[in-house]
Amino acid sequence: MNRSVDPPSPATCAPSGSATPAEQVAADLQRLMTHEIPSARDIRLQSLVRAAGGLSRENWSLDATWTDAAGAHKHQLMLMRDASGTLLNTERGREYAVLKALEGTDVPAPRVYWMDPQGQFLGAPSVVMERVSGSCDYMVLNSSRPLDERLALARGFIELMAAIHRVDWRARGLERSLGLPQHSPARTELAHWQAEYQRVRLEPHPELDLILSWLQQQAPVTETITLVHGDFKPGNALIEGQRISAKLDWETAHLGDPLEDLGWVTNPVRKREHQIPGHWERRQIVDAYQALTGRTVSERVLSWWNVLACWKLAVIQLTAVHEFVAGRYNRVFQTPTWLYRPMFQMMEAA
Amino acid sequence: MRPSVDEQLHGTCRILEEVVAPAVADPYARTILAGLIANLRMLHQAIPAVAAFLQHDNQACAKLLAELAPALPPPLAEAIVQALAHSEPEPTDSAALEQRNQALRELLAQAVCGEALAPDLQAKIKRHMIERASRMPMRYVPTAPTTS
Repeated sequence: MNRSVDPPSPATCAPSGSATPAEQVAADLQRLMTHEIPSARDIRLQSLVRAAGGLSRENWSLDATWTDAAGAHKHQLMLMRDASGTLLNTERGREYAVLKALEGTDVPAPRVYWMDPQGQFLGAPSVVMERVSGSCDYMVLNSSRPLDERLALARGFIELMAAIHRVDWRARGLERSLGLPQHSPARTELAHWQAEYQRVRLEPHPELDLILSWLQQQAPVTETITLVHGDFKPGNALIEGQRISAKLDWETAHLGDPLEDLGWVTNPVRKREHQIPGHWERRQIVDAYQALTGRTVSERVLSWWNVLACWKLAVIQLTAVHEFVAGRYNRVFQTPTWLYRPMFQMMEAA
Repeated sequence: MRPSVDEQLHGTCRILEEVVAPAVADPYARTILAGLIANLRMLHQAIPAVAAFLQHDNQACAKLLAELAPALPPPLAEAIVQALAHSEPEPTDSAALEQRNQALRELLAQAVCGEALAPDLQAKIKRHMIERASRMPMRYVPTAPTTS
């Protein structure tokens, strides 16, 4: 049963101390909307429910109606609010800027409406965006759908990645909002995750230190800078019928090396999410990407990004451990020892 | 002692699954509960193996550090010699085993990040690390939601 709530009018929107989380979110969102649309009246927020997904933040689904100077409005919305404990320390401002910049491009993404960057209204940094129709399935490429449908979706995902990498980030002002990498993209990304590793580790991890040392010694030079999604996977997309209706979760987007995204999806430890055995494997993915972008992908460089993808995944899991121990995160993760062997194997082969 | 720890963990999982989970309607809470039950089931299997794992790992790590020490800078080599001079904790003292494990692994972390080691030592380090990972008793149990 979904929680549904009609908040009181703005004059009395502050809920009592016994308000449910949904009632509190509704009241807070109503205050944000009143701030963003001063002429808004008769704001009604209905069918508010926290979605089960979302490992790094709270995702709330709701239907909103209001009337303002422009007339009557009716929208299906998603509210993304930073959770108190999270796997990814991300910025809502980054997501808002990227979604604004993507409007009018051929990248399917939700229209973004409002942002509460400091949590002034919602208690934690938040963005409100269109709720695009479609469903999310982490394992859609290995689901019960017929093979031809799964292959079409797999090709759709790599076409979507190429479209993201084609976005004219200079023309759309993303240099200003995302910033250019201070050093080479590989070293910048590595430094970011190294800092996160040092912040969250609760015990020595000589395995991750050894791999970090290798990554530092072997960091590649980048040939081109593009918009990078940063967490490209089927689990961050909506699918309606046989088409990808939206790419979601842009809070990790940045300007960097396009091979970072390709390294994420060809990462061997996540084959079940990104590959279809015997039909859509590393070779097919790389060939399709090269054909779509005209770029030549160096196997050595891609392997470096594969190792970084695993190392980054390990740090994300250590972040979850850190947040769980601190009492801020509600899922139990373990030290990611399962990633060590594949990383060593890739380092040997590189 | 009855119910034993084993029986209590097993029973707790059963009650959470059969009594509590069906009564939880909220999708987020249901997902969290499924993850917690899966983790409890993993712990039920893993707990009896933790002390033996730490004892074995401390011995293996100490042996590796002893082999690495001659190739390491003198201050680190001396720190290793001092650490290895300490006696191993009692197998029943879980906290001491854990503390010893962290101390030895901190030294190993320093050793692997230092100056380039000979290929045979590098190979030994990686073998040790892979072997350790394969013996780790506690593992993440994925219960990622399929819809959101």
